[in-house]
Amino acid sequence: MNESTFVLTAFAAIGLGTPIVFATLGEIITERAGVLNLGVQGMMLVGAVSGFWATFKTGNLLLGVVAAMIAGAVLSVIHAFSSITLRVSQIVSGIALTLFGTGLANFIGRTGTPALVGQPSRVTFEPLLTSGIADWPVVGPLVFGHDALVYVSWLVIAAASYYLFHTKMGLTLRAVGEDPASADAAGVEVARVRYVHVMVGGALAGLGGAYFSLALVPSWQDDPIGAAGWIAIALVILASWRPWRALLAAYLFGAAGRLNFTFQTLGVSVPANLLAMIPFILAIIAMIVLTSGKRARLLGAPAALGIPYAREQR
Amino acid sequence: MTARRLHVEPRGLASTRVTLLVPILSVLAALALGAAFLAVTGNNPWNVYTKMIDAAFGSSRSVSETLVSATPLMLTGVAAAIAFKMLVWNIGGEGQLLIGAVFAAGAGIALGDGTPAAVALPVVILTGAVGGALWAALSAVPRVMLGTNEIITTLMLNFIALNLMNYLVLGSFSPWRDPNSTQFPQGRPIPEAGRLPEFFHRLDWGIFIAVAVAIAAWLLIGKTRWGFEVRVVGDSADTARYAGIAVPRKIMGVFLLSGAAAGLAGSLLVAGILGKMDPRSLDLGLGFTGIIVAALARLNPVAVVPVAVLMGALNNAGPALQSISVPSATVTMLQGAILIFAVAGEFFIANRVRRRPPATPTALVEEGAT
Repeated sequence: MNESTFVLTAFAAIGLGTPIVFATLGEIITERAGVLNLGVQGMMLVGAVSGFWATFKTGNLLLGVVAAMIAGAVLSVIHAFSSITLRVSQIVSGIALTLFGTGLANFIGRTGTPALVGQPSRVTFEPLLTSGIADWPVVGPLVFGHDALVYVSWLVIAAASYYLFHTKMGLTLRAVGEDPASADAAGVEVARVRYVHVMVGGALAGLGGAYFSLALVPSWQDDPIGAAGWIAIALVILASWRPWRALLAAYLFGAAGRLNFTFQTLGVSVPANLLAMIPFILAIIAMIVLTSGKRARLLGAPAALGIPYAREQR
Repeated sequence: MTARRLHVEPRGLASTRVTLLVPILSVLAALALGAAFLAVTGNNPWNVYTKMIDAAFGSSRSVSETLVSATPLMLTGVAAAIAFKMLVWNIGGEGQLLIGAVFAAGAGIALGDGTPAAVALPVVILTGAVGGALWAALSAVPRVMLGTNEIITTLMLNFIALNLMNYLVLGSFSPWRDPNSTQFPQGRPIPEAGRLPEFFHRLDWGIFIAVAVAIAAWLLIGKTRWGFEVRVVGDSADTARYAGIAVPRKIMGVFLLSGAAAGLAGSLLVAGILGKMDPRSLDLGLGFTGIIVAALARLNPVAVVPVAVLMGALNNAGPALQSISVPSATVTMLQGAILIFAVAGEFFIANRVRRRPPATPTALVEEGAT
């Protein structure tokens, strides 16, 4: 039962989806504050290399996670400064962050002797349980068979959902993303709220990157995360800026990443390149069907997304 | 926050001196940051930078290679510049370039040997531009008809284009794949008649086409009625509508021209140095580098030309750094930093920062200028 194609695919989907869960949630929190950050890919890569480096030096996974989150948050401050304080183009600033982060991560991975590149991980995240309830049919592996970070991702999604929709601070955050002028008039420090949430988003992107280098890929390579950061940006829309939907969407894309292998086991031959297109085609179709015109507002797109706020211009 | 100590006021129209100074300072600031970073990581910045200059401009061959690298960047730079000018966020230059290469190589292969160069060359090059425009249309049509945000669609189409190109050569036995390359899949060469002649080492006539397109784009945007209306739409879509400008048609036109420019970059690579659709030589991030070029050129299509040469020089310097044990990623890092400073510099072009408020409240007078 646990060896069935369904269970294997679903299990792999959760593993491959987890870094995207973190990154998508981070971007949701950032965009809820009214800031679009296209630097996710860069922040994930810098998180991935920082996490790998810290764990490689210390042998401690927790330190790796902390280093990745700090690195992601620090990088996001650049974008926060450009888009909140200087109020320049968020789109170009985010792309700049991705380019810089990509270069920085590959540089760190290849500088010094011995360079990190090609080095195997000293420790990686392993499933917490390997027997007992983890052996139960279907739910065993799918619910109890994961590593610690998967459970962390579930907790973070639950916490973020509660924070956004059931706390005063979450309400403030959404107000800042919807109507910063009114929030400002009500005494909210718009810039500070935006800075904090851009940095939280950066930390989560860094954590997502670290999941690649500390759990999925047991060595350091250049660009180990594929296009995960860009997929996360698309999933924010598919998830309509809601945390639980982000979890679901990320797992669906994890499953798509696994489809190639699944088709092989079923004896169906589908070219890998064509399968790799599916997530991106789905994202475009979803964009067109779900978010065109006025429907974007119904979905929950923050009204002030991507628009700088300047008090003088009220 | 900073308002207590620094006074910020909109500049209105910035002087030429400021608009030139800010991009130059952006590059210098990025180089300074890079030097500090290199020093911290145990590399000698002086050695790295002199090596880079030598690799990019040290000999006539390296100058030629720098210009070869700059040619596609001029076109992806123009593609981003004309779109961004109108607030059309086409960040799909990457995919439009790749599809341009697919179309150009497809045209060359379809024509086959025996077609005269006078026919083959224009057909190959123009088909690539059409390919880029069609790929852009996949985002432009939903944007214009339904209001679909083009940032995500152009971005996603980059990855679809990349996988499509890889499939045609690496994943299948399509007409694009060289039937003679059995062990290691390669693109099928296009006929000689479809190739651009080289005149300075590996540099071919494509660079003249790229420069001509940049000048044409500058004339179109700056000197024609059509271009004026495009700029009005870029400043304020509402104003444009009140003035009776057909905004959707303008957006469509700019979007397709932007895609065509990026597609042309792909066809010049196929008709030029590559001579075939070679996936490994095309997947270099030239579309994204074009965004750096456009931003640093402040969206001026003519300024794109020298900036593209600078970025081409950086791209060429990367591999040379490996010979002195410095990662080639240094170059990507520097390019990213240049873009960060260039985009931040837009603030200083738009605003004047003083230590204390001026005697007269000019900020109030010039309020609407941003």
